[in-house]
Amino acid sequence: MPSGLGSLVIKEVKELLRDPKILIGMVLMPLLMFPIMGAAINISQTAVKESVKSMQIAVLDFDGGSAAQNLTTFLGANSNITLVKVNASSVDTALKNLQETNVTVLLVIPQNFTYNMTHGLQSILGFYAIFKRASITETGRSDAASLLLSTYNSILVIQTIQKVLPESNPYTVLNPINVSYFSVVKGKSVEVPPGALFGIMMSQSIMFPMVIMLLLIFAMQIAATSIAIEKEEKTLETLLTLPVGRLSILTGKLAGSVLVAVAGAVASIIGVTFYVGSAFGGFAATAPQGVDLQALGLAPSPEAYMLLGLTIFVTIVSSLALAICIAVFAENVRSAQTLVGYLNLPIIAPAIILMFADIEILPPAVQIVLYAIPFTHSIVAAKAAFLGNYSTVLVSIAYISLFTVAVLYIAAKIFTSEKVVTARMSIKRLRLRK
Amino acid sequence: MEFAIEAQDLAKNFGNIKALAGLSFKVRRGEIYGLIGPNGAGKTTTLRILATLIGPTSGSAKVLGLDVVKSASEVRKLISYLPEEAGAYRNLSGREYLEFMAGFYANSEDEAQSMMKEAMEISGLGDRLKDKVKTYSKGMNRRLLVARALMIKPKLAILDEPTSGLDVVHAFYVRRIIREYAEKHKVTVLLSSHNMLEVEFLCDRVALINEGKLIGEGSPSELKSKYKAPNLEEVFMEATSHA
Repeated sequence: MPSGLGSLVIKEVKELLRDPKILIGMVLMPLLMFPIMGAAINISQTAVKESVKSMQIAVLDFDGGSAAQNLTTFLGANSNITLVKVNASSVDTALKNLQETNVTVLLVIPQNFTYNMTHGLQSILGFYAIFKRASITETGRSDAASLLLSTYNSILVIQTIQKVLPESNPYTVLNPINVSYFSVVKGKSVEVPPGALFGIMMSQSIMFPMVIMLLLIFAMQIAATSIAIEKEEKTLETLLTLPVGRLSILTGKLAGSVLVAVAGAVASIIGVTFYVGSAFGGFAATAPQGVDLQALGLAPSPEAYMLLGLTIFVTIVSSLALAICIAVFAENVRSAQTLVGYLNLPIIAPAIILMFADIEILPPAVQIVLYAIPFTHSIVAAKAAFLGNYSTVLVSIAYISLFTVAVLYIAAKIFTSEKVVTARMSIKRLRLRK
Repeated sequence: MEFAIEAQDLAKNFGNIKALAGLSFKVRRGEIYGLIGPNGAGKTTTLRILATLIGPTSGSAKVLGLDVVKSASEVRKLISYLPEEAGAYRNLSGREYLEFMAGFYANSEDEAQSMMKEAMEISGLGDRLKDKVKTYSKGMNRRLLVARALMIKPKLAILDEPTSGLDVVHAFYVRRIIREYAEKHKVTVLLSSHNMLEVEFLCDRVALINEGKLIGEGSPSELKSKYKAPNLEEVFMEATSHA
C-alpha cells in the first residue's frame, strides 16, 4: 500500500495521463506528428533524388562543330541523362515543341561555339530550365544539369592549363593557396574546419534552449491543469480535508506534473529527433568524423551532466510552483491554461534570443532584462555546462534556486491557507466591486 | 466528552460580506444534527470551518474536543467531509477512487480491504465500480462519494446537501444509507439541507440558521410543537418572521 505522498503522486499521474487532452496533445501528438512530418519530407526528397537519376536534356545545336560534339558526348556519357537532339530554327520553336515532352532542360549551343573555343574566346551556352509544375523535382533536375556543365567547364580549364603550361600541375595553378583550418576551443587547437563543428554548435545553441523551453511549457500547462481540474471537478475540497499534510498534496502535484511533463518532453525530443533525422539527415549532436570532442573540451564531463540535470530540475520545480500559484486563482482548466499561457513569454523570449545570439553580445539593457528572468539562466547554464564553465553554471543554479525557494514559499503559503479554497471567491468579489 | 461539536460565537467575513455573525451550537455524540436555512444563511461556511477548510474570523469551534484551527491536522483524522456538488476523479475507476481514499485512513492492507468492502456495500454500485467515474450518472456519483465519506467510519461525518440534485430513487437510497450507517456505527453526522422532509426524516436535532445566526434549535417534533406548525418548512417561515 503506497504512503500518502506515494498515493497522491500515483493518482496525479493516472489522472493526467488518462486525460485524453493531455495524453494525445502532449505525449502522443509530438511522438507521432514530428516523425510523420519528417517521413513526408523524406519521401519527397527521395523522390527528387530518384527523379534526377533519369532526366532528359534537349540540345539545340546551332554550331555543329567539334567542340559542340565534345560537349554532347560528355553529357551523353552520363548514365543518368538521356540526350534529345532538337531540330528547330529558333529557341522559341524548340521550347514550344518540348512543352509536351518530359525534357526539363534545353541547352542551346550558339553559332561559332567551336570557333570561340579553339580561339580562346568565351562562348555563351543557353540554359533553359523548363518548369511545368513549379515543383522541387524540376529545380533538382536543372541543378543537376547545371552541375554537369560546371564540371565540363573545369575539365576544359585543366586541358587548357596542360596545353599552355605542360610542366605545371594544373591543380596547383588553379589553387595557388591552400588553407589548413584549425579550430581553437578554450585554448585547445585541433585541425578541424570550423564548419565541421557546426553540428555540435547547433545542438547546443538550438536543441538545448528548445528542449528546455518545451519542457517548461509542458510542465506549467500540466501543473495548471492538475490544480484547476480539482477545482473544476470539485474534488479539491475533499482532498484538503484528508489526513495528509497540505505540503504533501503540493509535493504530490509537483511530482506528478514533473513525471508527466518529462514524458511529454521525451516524446517531443524523440519526435523531433526522428523528424530532423528523417527530414534533413540529422544535424544533432553527432560528432563529425575525425573530430576529437574530448580534445576540444566539447564532450561534457559527468560533472557537467550532473549540473545540467540540477539546473533543469530547479527550473522545472520553480515553473511548476509558479503555475500552481497562478492556477489556484482560476475557476476552471481553460482559464488556468490561459493564465499560465501568459508565462510562456518569459520562457520563449530568452530561448529564442539565445538560440541565435550569445548573451554577451546583446545590448546591456537587454542583458539586464534577460538575466532578471530566471528561465534565461537555465539556458545560459546548459550552454556553460557543455563548455565546462562551472562557475557560470553554479551562479545560474543559485539564482534559479533562490527564485524557486521564493515561489515554493508562496505556493506553500497559498496551500496551507484558506486561499486555496477561497481564491476564486476573491476574484468574484473583485468583479462585484467593479 | 459529551459533545462531538462545540461551536462558540462563530463569525466569518469574506471582505464586506458577513457569512456568519456569531453562530453557537453543540452537537451530541452519535446524533444526526441538521443545519437548515435559505441560500446564503451560512450553512456551507459553518461546515467548511468545521471541516478545517477555512478559519473563522472570530469565535471558536471544537470537534471532539480539538480546536479546528489549532489542531486542524488532528481533526482531519477524525472527520469525513462531503462537499455539496463534490466530484470524484473522472479518469479513475470507482474502485481506484475508493482505494485511493482508503489509503489515507487505513493502517494496514487488511483495514483498507475492509473499508473497500464497506464502501462497495454502501454504494451498491456492484460491477460499475470497475468503470471510470466519468461514465457515472449524477446519482451514482453521489452514492460513490457517500460511500467514500462513510467507509472510513469517521467519528464525525460532515455532509453538505447530501441529496442535492438527486432524483427520488437515489435521494431515498442515500438518506436510508446515512440513517442506517449512523445508527449501526454510532457515527455523529452534521448535515445541511434545503429539503425539510429530508431533515425531518434524518435528523435527531435541527438548527435553524438565517443571516449567519441561530434562530431556533431542537428536535423536529419540539420545533413543530413550539411554533405550532405542521412541518419544518412552516416552522422555518415562522421562526424567520420572529427573528
